[in-house]
Amino acid sequence: MKSKTTIVKPPIHMRLYSVWYRHMRVYTKNLVANGLPPFLEPLIFLVAIGLGLGRYITEMKGMPYLPFLATGILVTTAMFTASFECTYGTFIRLEFDKAYDGMISAPITVKDLFVGEILWAGTKGLFFSLSVLSIVSAFGILSIKTCAVAPAVGFLTGAMFSAVSLLITSFVRDINQFNFYFTGFLSPMFFFSGVVFSLDTLPKPMQWVAEVFPLTHSVRVVRAVCFREFSRIHLYDLSYIVLVTLLCAFFAIRRLRGRLVA
Amino acid sequence: MANKSPNSVIAADDVHKSYGDVKAVKNFSFMLESATCLGFLGPNGAGKTTMMNLVYGRSQRDVRPPSTLRVFGYDPAQSELEIKYLSGVVPQENNLDVELNVRRNLLIYSKFYGIRRAEADSRIDTLLDFMELSDKKKAKIKELSGGMKRRLIIARALLNNPRLLILDEPTTGLDPQVRHLIWNKIRQLKSNGTTILLTTHYMEEAFQIADWIIIMNQGEKVLEGNPKKLLEEHMEKYVLEVSNKNSFGLIEKAATKKIRKDRSSESMLLYNSDQGVLKGLSDRLNPGDYFLRETNLEDLFLKLTGRELNEE
Repeated sequence: MKSKTTIVKPPIHMRLYSVWYRHMRVYTKNLVANGLPPFLEPLIFLVAIGLGLGRYITEMKGMPYLPFLATGILVTTAMFTASFECTYGTFIRLEFDKAYDGMISAPITVKDLFVGEILWAGTKGLFFSLSVLSIVSAFGILSIKTCAVAPAVGFLTGAMFSAVSLLITSFVRDINQFNFYFTGFLSPMFFFSGVVFSLDTLPKPMQWVAEVFPLTHSVRVVRAVCFREFSRIHLYDLSYIVLVTLLCAFFAIRRLRGRLVA
Repeated sequence: MANKSPNSVIAADDVHKSYGDVKAVKNFSFMLESATCLGFLGPNGAGKTTMMNLVYGRSQRDVRPPSTLRVFGYDPAQSELEIKYLSGVVPQENNLDVELNVRRNLLIYSKFYGIRRAEADSRIDTLLDFMELSDKKKAKIKELSGGMKRRLIIARALLNNPRLLILDEPTTGLDPQVRHLIWNKIRQLKSNGTTILLTTHYMEEAFQIADWIIIMNQGEKVLEGNPKKLLEEHMEKYVLEVSNKNSFGLIEKAATKKIRKDRSSESMLLYNSDQGVLKGLSDRLNPGDYFLRETNLEDLFLKLTGRELNEE
């Protein structure tokens, strides 16, 4: 038998980058259709809330209401974009387009594939946070300078929700099942994670539930970053985010490997 | 084939693969020599694609019973990256990125192999030229015909100058012109030293490009050998196909024991190496009720794997 051939296969960072690059290329292909909504969405939201609800509520927890709400939107936008990417997007690549079949025929492992995808979803989260930030700062609601680190929280939020979404996707057999995830998990989380109102008005048991929601921790961290008020709890929040991301990614990759490499 | 060969690209010994209770591949052994083409033939569900997937780590063979599988000396269960780096894969289903144009599709894949941009650009030009797609460089995937898409996927598989090209039904559903073009390209690659592993259920395809074929059925090897020799050794030279059911009885009586008969509800096939004998039989039939022709690999295939549909 022939002796093993020594070959220079691409190192891990190149493999992850190539997956990230593929998603970036496909996404930016329709830049207008894909890149405009993150700017339009906060605009619509702010007009509706600012001109409507904002007239009645001016303050939340001693904070002016619009900046309170705007900081929350910085991370919810990252949550939604990453969740769409890694539910419907992933499912279509997996089952309909068979895009992964091609990619793992190249020197890419299943782990590379999904770690690269999580990094890409994090990048989208960062980009969406940045878009919202640029809009709200244009209206003088937040300052882009003081909130400069907020898009990084958008990255972490995007990465976390892509890992959670990949885990959900690993169980899904029919694309319509994602309805449960969106209306049953993400929508309630939007309202009960301290984005629109402060959680301490809620009954105690509901507060405990809110503590389990991953988004709650993103919201607390992004407010801390934007309002420069740090305490020990934010370290806990950050650890929670990292832990949820790693755990969900681990099980998601394990389960998706079972579906791709049987 | 020699059991130990210094030129083997793939060496498989007693490979098994099961999905739950379903045994997709059973005690399968084969050897693929460098710069030759091996074809897996078999009906749907015979285990062709499964065996192919095992080769590049897309699927994991059963741990028990113990088996060996080496590709360029690497075990796919441990070294999938090395094997995939040295191989190019053309999957059964097209999976191009429809959002991107022809050139971009290749560029994305060149990154997976870590090919530098300048090198990738010239490689892409060469490959588009080779697959006769140069004028489609900027075209959208939707604008391509089925044959062009297939050629583009083959070009994609060739990006990293693979030493092993894995083709899963490369020409299924394509028109004769494209099929012949693809066969020519495969022959060209082979003469340049590329080793080829092929699955197909087109007998003609196997006959055209494979040096060695393995006929599979229900996960097992049924027969293997050089396609032309297999035909000579295992099949009569001629076959008389009778299509009129009313003549079956007449022919059955008239045919001697030396003529092999294969009767299904709709047709009757009579095999013999002496064309004259079959000609004599056909004289008793109305013209249009029969067809006398040379046997081909398809007849051998049906002889080995049966006429019943292999669907569950």
